[in-house]
Amino acid sequence: MTTPTQATTPAAARTRTPIGAPGRLENDAKGGVGTSPQRPDGALKVTGEFAYSSDLWMDNMLWGVTLRSPHPFARIRAVDIAAALATPGVVAVLTAADVPGRNVFGLELSDQPVLADDVVRYQGEAVALVAADHPEIARQAAKKIRVDYQVWEPITDARAALGHPTWNRLHDHPAEDVELSRSAAAIHPKGNLVRHLKIRKGDPDEAADVVVRGEYSVGMQDQAFLGPESGLAVPDGEGGVDLYVATQWLHVDQRQICTALGLTPDQVRLTLAGVGGAFGGREDLSMHVHGCMLALHTGKPVKMVYNREESFFGHVHRHPAEMRYEHGATRDGTLVFVNCDIYFDGGAYASSTPAVVGNGGTMGIGPYVVPNVRIDAYGVYTNNPPCGAMRGFGSVQTAFAYEAQMDLLAAELGMDPIDLRVRNAMAEGSVTPHGQTIDSPAPVAELLQRLREMPLPAEPDGADIDLRSLPGGVANSTHGEGVKRGVGYAVTYKNVAFSEGFDDYSTARVQIEAHQGNPLVVVHTAAAEVGQGLVTIEQQICRTELGVENVIVHPKNTDVGSGGSTSASRQTYMTGGAVKLACEAVRDRILTLARDRTDAPLDDAALVDGNIVTPSGAVLMSIADAIGEAVIEETREHHHRPTEEIDPETGQGFAHVQYSFSAHRAVVDVDTELGLLKVVELACVQDVGKALNADAVVGQIQGGSAQGMGLAIMEEIVVKDGKIRNPSFTDYLIPTILDTPPMPIQVLEYADPHAPYGLRGVGEAPTISSGPAVAAAIRQATGLPLTRVPIRPEHITGT
Amino acid sequence: MKPFRYARPGGVAEAVRSGAEQPGSRFLAGGTNLVDLMKLGVERPDLVVDVGGLGLDEIVVDSGGGLRIGANVRNSDLAVHPAVRRELPMLSQALLSGASGQLRNQATAAGNLLQRTRCVYFQDVSKPCNKREPGSGCPARQGDHRNLAVLGGSAACIATHPSDFAVALAAADAEVAVTGPAGERTLRLDELYLLPGEHPERETSLAPGDLITAIVVPPLPFGTTSAYRKVRDRASYAFAVASVAAAIDVTDGVVRDVRIALGAVAPKPWRAHRAEDALRGLEPTASAFRAAVEAELSVAEPLPDNAFKLPLTANVVVSVLSDLTGASR
Repeated sequence: MTTPTQATTPAAARTRTPIGAPGRLENDAKGGVGTSPQRPDGALKVTGEFAYSSDLWMDNMLWGVTLRSPHPFARIRAVDIAAALATPGVVAVLTAADVPGRNVFGLELSDQPVLADDVVRYQGEAVALVAADHPEIARQAAKKIRVDYQVWEPITDARAALGHPTWNRLHDHPAEDVELSRSAAAIHPKGNLVRHLKIRKGDPDEAADVVVRGEYSVGMQDQAFLGPESGLAVPDGEGGVDLYVATQWLHVDQRQICTALGLTPDQVRLTLAGVGGAFGGREDLSMHVHGCMLALHTGKPVKMVYNREESFFGHVHRHPAEMRYEHGATRDGTLVFVNCDIYFDGGAYASSTPAVVGNGGTMGIGPYVVPNVRIDAYGVYTNNPPCGAMRGFGSVQTAFAYEAQMDLLAAELGMDPIDLRVRNAMAEGSVTPHGQTIDSPAPVAELLQRLREMPLPAEPDGADIDLRSLPGGVANSTHGEGVKRGVGYAVTYKNVAFSEGFDDYSTARVQIEAHQGNPLVVVHTAAAEVGQGLVTIEQQICRTELGVENVIVHPKNTDVGSGGSTSASRQTYMTGGAVKLACEAVRDRILTLARDRTDAPLDDAALVDGNIVTPSGAVLMSIADAIGEAVIEETREHHHRPTEEIDPETGQGFAHVQYSFSAHRAVVDVDTELGLLKVVELACVQDVGKALNADAVVGQIQGGSAQGMGLAIMEEIVVKDGKIRNPSFTDYLIPTILDTPPMPIQVLEYADPHAPYGLRGVGEAPTISSGPAVAAAIRQATGLPLTRVPIRPEHITGT
Repeated sequence: MKPFRYARPGGVAEAVRSGAEQPGSRFLAGGTNLVDLMKLGVERPDLVVDVGGLGLDEIVVDSGGGLRIGANVRNSDLAVHPAVRRELPMLSQALLSGASGQLRNQATAAGNLLQRTRCVYFQDVSKPCNKREPGSGCPARQGDHRNLAVLGGSAACIATHPSDFAVALAAADAEVAVTGPAGERTLRLDELYLLPGEHPERETSLAPGDLITAIVVPPLPFGTTSAYRKVRDRASYAFAVASVAAAIDVTDGVVRDVRIALGAVAPKPWRAHRAEDALRGLEPTASAFRAAVEAELSVAEPLPDNAFKLPLTANVVVSVLSDLTGASR
């Protein structure tokens, strides 16, 4: 298939285009909404031809390197760059004084310096930049920069940072009774509290027949994407810059880069380079401003690629959390109240901590109907690594706690854990703790009942056991003796798209013309493809709405309006919705052109298989004939229905656009002597509203389930005294395919009437419910409380 | 990475000469550990002597069942060798439980023995480490020591040796054949590995230019009744949290002889002589196994976050010996 001329000139055309810059994605796949066509980038990725951001190249480019702080908390007395600058091959060495605009960035609060000035607040904070004609020379030169630090004692405990008492035991003073101590050892001028979310619903003094209490903690998880932070900044010779970068939201990057560089948006043009995974870790800036600074300063293209170790310091992580819950119920298992305190350790800078607290708090008791609720959720500054967005976004942490509580309550009541959950399950019309009525299907009970009805995997057979099927795997650790099997359940709900009054939207430009007698569509959005398959969805929607087969996906860049973030499970909803709106506008114009060429009534006509057809299917004319020589292009924004900020004292308000529901059943074999685990099966039932691409939905559920399981049993960034101790994939463990169990999956499609095609965002919910189900199964097998994840061998064997 | 010179010698003698002449040189074989450490700046050799072209890649089985394993034999090849699987299953199992398939295809037998510790402070050049920079201090006792030593450590260092293979070799009484500037010699594993004491920077008794050319495993008639077991944080592949290599000979209802080596608990593969001595002559029962391993671990010096290794190691020893002898637990 050949491509026609483009109607718009990409930013890259103004400068030379690097090798590895994204091309237009086209393929011969067919299939509209509800089918599973091959993805346009699939063959390229499988054959190794897909260019990732680390593959970007220009012959005359320089290499940029970042010098980072080795200390979690220190004052910078002086920075001496002379020796570095004198190194042969070095072209530039830049520090905070060289930031052209405001030396600050941040997703929600602008609180982080582009380059540290005066104070460093976490280990790995960027202090200086070097550009050289070879990456090794740049790295060697960076080591010659002498930074004189006055090292301070880091603040590494979230409760201590607020002056709240440490939880040495259960039932001591709730945090609310203790006056916040914001002035003590403030990491930022306004103190260490980023956000305190309060939910107050019902009667705080309601009594219950049965009360269970627990404290839970969740370790720091990494997004563990494989493609390290990387990009190429190309100066345009007129004071502006083109940045090719792997990211999640081009326009929010552009806004922050403009502020830091003191430039206008038309001077800072971004193009999405090939993204090797994101999971939230690319919502914040990494090398963006640094690369642009070096490029503008040197007048040459500058490439920056983090290595794996630097990557652990180059992006935010999932917030560790400390949580305390109290559940009260009647003797028959009806929830009366839930009280909880949730501390999210946000690390040194805010990133998306306020929104993480918002999600973690508002959905902090799970998809249950509870008349009386008190929630205090805190986001806190410490000198630990900054934490921000990661798939599940605040809800992953709380789900470990509230689902453990439900099991604890079921045990206390002598009830089946599923029966207890079903008895208290939310349904359409239920009211959340933040006072929002669920106004679309909420099949919480059905998810659980379907899971219960799914057949359990076979018990291990004594003869001919495959080591790979046993806890410990091929390490020959066990031959099945002393292995106990546990089964655990968990259910969750998660908001989709941006909440709490944010005007969330995406933009799509759709163009159609006749090419060699056939209609050809180009769809152009700025919505980041990070591996999830949005490019396929964009093609599918165009095929369905315009009745054409050939759909080209334009490179993602800032020449079109914002696509919003590829996060919050929102792109199929938001950008899919924008593509649909743009297609509808294009269709109207096609029909207008057709009216000039026929007297037939077109009011009920549809576009199908390249033709304009009547409701009965009769072909009136081909789309290509209707278009003729015209090039039709329409751009539309899709805003979701408005939400509102929640009340600061009661936490009440219409905060969220849509909810996504999933539930998991985990079957785990545990060697209780050796502390080893084998997740035997991880079954999932999820309501997706409408599966636009069934294969992609299953892929999302499989990936999310594995990522949630990883947090339950192995994934943790070990931080001691503010310092990351395992910044490598040798020491930070993620599940491999050998650790990943079979995943029976049922997908339900209860349409949300407020959403395009009735769809619900898919990507996050399975990440939330899988881990708690695995933890529950291990608890059932061992009889141990296991209140911390990841669960390690020593937690099972004791010390 | 620090710039370095690269040499590809034509023979063992030339390799030894190159290594001996240049202080701070390193031999490169599979490169799976050295290259990583060079990238981190932990290893900073001026000269890298690539011994990959020297052959040394044969496995010779002698008539008594002993093995001579060339230094450059790949872990994958060694693990599947029929004589190794038949005569010393614990060797094969140890190799297969180490690293991933790709790494085992690349890593060599001698290189495996000379792996450096995974201690997080050793790996992080921005932190003090007595092993990397003698006299700079050790943050591990107060810091992250979950996977560090409970046996054989010193005030200066509690790093653990990361190899699985070396643990099985220790149980098998293996020796290494070394060619050095002064000629050839053999070293038992307990002569090869040094405990840290006040000099954790000295991990082995090898001098500059000393090249391991082969690993010699003497015949072990009861090696057919041997096993290696490993506890780790990820089933597919990960370094050990605790491991055991054991071989046992039960004759006339009593333990005639036994070999036990422990991994991930000490700065070197830890041969459990005390436990072996305690078991000889006893009936092979789970309680005898437990008493023996507890005797071995009685000299342990655990810290708060690695104390779990004691009961865990005891459980692994009891389970592996019970399985080998059919003792009920």
